[in-house]
Amino acid sequence: MNTMLNQTNKTTDPYFIDFPKRIKSIQEMMQGRGIDVYLGSRLRTISWTVDVFCPWRSYIVIPKKGLPTVFTFLIDATRIGHDSWLDEEHVLGYGPVGGQDQITILSNKILEYLNKGKGKVGIESGMSNYLPEGNLTHYEYDKLAEALPDVELVNAHDIVDELSMIKDKGTMNRFREASRIVDIGHQVVYEAINGGGWKGMTETEIAGLAAYAMRKAGSEFEWSFTAGNEIASGYRTGLAQGACTPASRKKLKAGEPLMVDLHAMFKLGLGDHTHNYLLSPATERQKWHAQNFVALVKLVLKAYGPGATPSSLADKMLEFAEDHDFIEFVVPGCEHGIGMMGDEWRIGMNDGPFEYWTNPDHVYQAGEMVICAMQYACPEENIGFRYENPIIITDRGCEPLSKFPLRIEEI
Amino acid sequence: MAGTVKYMSPEWRDEAEKRLKSELTPEKMKHITTSMCCIYQNCPDGKQRYYFVKTENGSLVEVSIGDQEPPKAEFILTADYETFAKLTRGELSGRAALMGRKLTLNGNLIKALKLSTVADRMNKVLSAIPTEY
Repeated sequence: MNTMLNQTNKTTDPYFIDFPKRIKSIQEMMQGRGIDVYLGSRLRTISWTVDVFCPWRSYIVIPKKGLPTVFTFLIDATRIGHDSWLDEEHVLGYGPVGGQDQITILSNKILEYLNKGKGKVGIESGMSNYLPEGNLTHYEYDKLAEALPDVELVNAHDIVDELSMIKDKGTMNRFREASRIVDIGHQVVYEAINGGGWKGMTETEIAGLAAYAMRKAGSEFEWSFTAGNEIASGYRTGLAQGACTPASRKKLKAGEPLMVDLHAMFKLGLGDHTHNYLLSPATERQKWHAQNFVALVKLVLKAYGPGATPSSLADKMLEFAEDHDFIEFVVPGCEHGIGMMGDEWRIGMNDGPFEYWTNPDHVYQAGEMVICAMQYACPEENIGFRYENPIIITDRGCEPLSKFPLRIEEI
Repeated sequence: MAGTVKYMSPEWRDEAEKRLKSELTPEKMKHITTSMCCIYQNCPDGKQRYYFVKTENGSLVEVSIGDQEPPKAEFILTADYETFAKLTRGELSGRAALMGRKLTLNGNLIKALKLSTVADRMNKVLSAIPTEY
């Protein structure tokens, strides 16, 4: 039985995504390039096409016509078959069994779609700063080339990159719901730490409190590979150029800043919002830093819209910081890419001056999503702040999905 | 049956069919509908042979052997003659053969694992046939 955990298959479902249409759109682009079979291996591709979180190495084989087949580690194949829109005939397990190892099973499936073993197969190759990206490894490439001697393997990940750039309604709604859940996590953290409740607490405890609240609200995963919810206090908030703070066992202390960066997942849509506090008593200097940061975030949020570029946004941000005498504390950059689970960091297509990094001149269009992500750090004073919020580029600006109030309060 | 039969001979096939039908009820066969073709490579005479079984709702509907083009099947198992002989004699388990890469499976692995107990039962019946390998 296929209950399709993420799919109700009704167009009235606000989270509905037309996955067969996504496959057809890939097939149309394959046809345009003379690609006979597309072999996807990146986590972002698997999420975008299968609609299930696949934590084990997985592949999708997409023929020129018809349904794709997913291959995943045997121990998880039944679950994926159960939760996906694909039937069990199109979700197969691989394992250390004769004829069922990754290379044999993939090459056999690919050969089914080729004429006399000849043709062009699109693969996903490249590099990423994101560890679970999932590009085809050198070993996999060599072994597939060996198993498919008359096949031309061509890099084709840009097909999925291009198609997944503009988000559809169902995707946006999944992100909206994930953000609503993150806001519940923030509210629970606020209530727990307010009024001196923070005393004796550790960063890991706050991460757990938020995780529990978000799970109760339906979150499937504190999805970030940066150890889930990122909590930092004191000097850890102000690490130079730092924007990654897995929660530690550090106890919260009076007079220190506190950074609460929460992550939730809803049907592979991702919530990611950071809220900052000053643990009383806060100094005037700390409050000055806080005001700077909030003003900067407001400025940047106003600047998003069609036609803006990462460069133009960074210029505005740095100009403002320079004018207000705090440029030395600003980490230059205000966003990272986002898509369904596994699609993180790079924005837009791979067409910038540094391969596999965001093109600073990428021009935003309505329907794109990014995480507005800003970091302020003053290591000398052991203080820093972070802002993260998924935003949808709209016709006239942007829609920040987390609605938790933007402020840095002293508690 | 008097004496022994030669492995993979028409007589062996007849005996296999008779025993499988009489000893494995549809209940024991879990009422499965499937087909399996074993491809025997490097037989003693140098040929390649197949052993094909087909079930419907747990009832055996076809057992065939041959050295022609093998029939289409849901599961195709390929190995050397000697590996299949060891499997039939009960000297080697299917799991060990698959995991040791002596036997290759073409078909849905999850389904195959679900059916592995049925395959073991069939093999146990075959192993009791007095056979000359």
